[in-house]
Amino acid sequence: MQSIINVSNLSKSYGRNLVLNNISFTVNSGETVALIGQNGAGKTTLFSLLCGYIKADSGEMQLLGGQPGSQALFGKVAALPQDAQLDPAFSIGQQLSFYGQLQGLSASEAGAETKRVLALVDLAANYHTKAGALSHGMRKRACMAQAFIGSPALILLDEPTAGLDPANALHIRELISDLSQHASFLISSHNIFELERLCNKVLYLQDGKLQQHHAQPNESTAHISLQLATASDAAVDSDAVCQQLQELAGITDVTAGRNHEYQLSYQPQQVDDFDIRLLQCLAANGWQYKQLSKGKSLEQQLFAQKKAANA
Amino acid sequence: MSLMLLRQTWLFSQVELSRLWLTRRGLMTLAATAVVWFFLLRYAIAPASDILQEPNFQKSLTAAFGMLGLHQLLNWPAPELTLYWMLSLVLLPFLSLVFTANQLSSDAARGTLRFISLRSSRTAIVLGRFCGQLVVQLCLILLSLTATLLISAVRQGGLSWQAIEASLLISCHLLIVLMPFTALMTVFSAWARSSRLALSLAIVTLGVVFGLLSWLIYHQPDAAFVLEYMPGAQIWQLIPAQGWQSLQLAALPLAQTAIFLVIAQQILSRRAL
Repeated sequence: MQSIINVSNLSKSYGRNLVLNNISFTVNSGETVALIGQNGAGKTTLFSLLCGYIKADSGEMQLLGGQPGSQALFGKVAALPQDAQLDPAFSIGQQLSFYGQLQGLSASEAGAETKRVLALVDLAANYHTKAGALSHGMRKRACMAQAFIGSPALILLDEPTAGLDPANALHIRELISDLSQHASFLISSHNIFELERLCNKVLYLQDGKLQQHHAQPNESTAHISLQLATASDAAVDSDAVCQQLQELAGITDVTAGRNHEYQLSYQPQQVDDFDIRLLQCLAANGWQYKQLSKGKSLEQQLFAQKKAANA
Repeated sequence: MSLMLLRQTWLFSQVELSRLWLTRRGLMTLAATAVVWFFLLRYAIAPASDILQEPNFQKSLTAAFGMLGLHQLLNWPAPELTLYWMLSLVLLPFLSLVFTANQLSSDAARGTLRFISLRSSRTAIVLGRFCGQLVVQLCLILLSLTATLLISAVRQGGLSWQAIEASLLISCHLLIVLMPFTALMTVFSAWARSSRLALSLAIVTLGVVFGLLSWLIYHQPDAAFVLEYMPGAQIWQLIPAQGWQSLQLAALPLAQTAIFLVIAQQILSRRAL
């Protein structure tokens, strides 16, 4: 698989604050990668370095074989930087057409492309609206539309759904999912649920260092997340549920969480129909489930270890 | 210079032109320019034109400033152009500092430059914004010159070809005079985080530099030649200049412009966006 981002031994500090400490990673063509980390972990700094907005202290970076910010990447790498705004004096159509022309499109091509990308983010009717007259959510979507102009091979999105209402956030997630068939994405977000749905690789920044997780790990132990329906609150006792689940064949661990959530670990080699046995167990005890999903949630993969360490 | 750089420079210039004619801020600039020139034309140029035509005044001017060559001012085909020329040479460099202070700083502060820099080199951004500002200033010069010519035509009952040719010469000269001042503001707007700060820095820097030079020349009179390399130094030679051959004075401002643009490009290239 062809790698489109190659980062090796990258470091960046602001004064005495070392934000990125010798990080290395690779992103392959077709991958949709999540960039996760706490506030101040260096996500935006990494984005800025990849976009060529700032210079690294040391290390190497290559995007599609070129240096960040180089002419070879114009039109091939697109980005939605955090907090960047369009010029409020011009209409979003004018500005996106201008960007299209900067990428090498003719005026008519740029106009048509602008209409296409504005339609993607449901802003086709706002072509002539000035950026300053748009709501926060609409401005965000207009900024996102500029990242889809042309046919970028790599799209970097910093907090793409922050500040959007749920309906528009869902629309953007679906859009990214559709476009990920044709382009690679690197997405930074605090919304773990969103990243879990969209991404097949996770870069977790912690204390300036990088940990990589694959969203679909191939492990000998399998996991199931279960949430029981709240309608049967009175009848459900967490200890009783755990006790019953512990008796399932192949089970290795059951952990009860808040809101009737349970994390089950089992050995798939021992039982290949564990999920069916689980459903039979729930039915036999009269428990209704609200949600049942295979695998550990990304949140648990990333933060359970830290939580356990802190405890 | 690559074809892409030229194309992008042209695109940036078009955007600046649109900003002048199609945005509220641009129209305010036009309105402010119109008001300033209305008062200059109505209460300074028009009445002074009559005085300039009086033979006694012309004799006095030649006698008083003949050594300096200022009597050449009387050779412009219309007295209105003489006054326009003098006023513009003194006023426009200062107005240029104000009008061109926001070449890059607002876009950098807003983050718009992040969108642009993914599609255009920082060299093209600097060059494009500079050229855009020049095109805008040329528009303003042509508008004010047209108004001056109209006043002259009304007073004289017609317009001569010489007056039109002189207007073209004045436009070229003024544009060249404004180049280093515009490029200077490119430098400060690439550096500062707001147009106000850019303007303040420019004024303070020019003041400090001229102050230091004055001190230096006071103690070392041989260093006076340095003043000849400052922006606008050729203006005093330009005032009595006539004819297209006077464009030979353009070498210094063009060189200053090139130096300032290189500095601006270096600042923007190193600046975090």
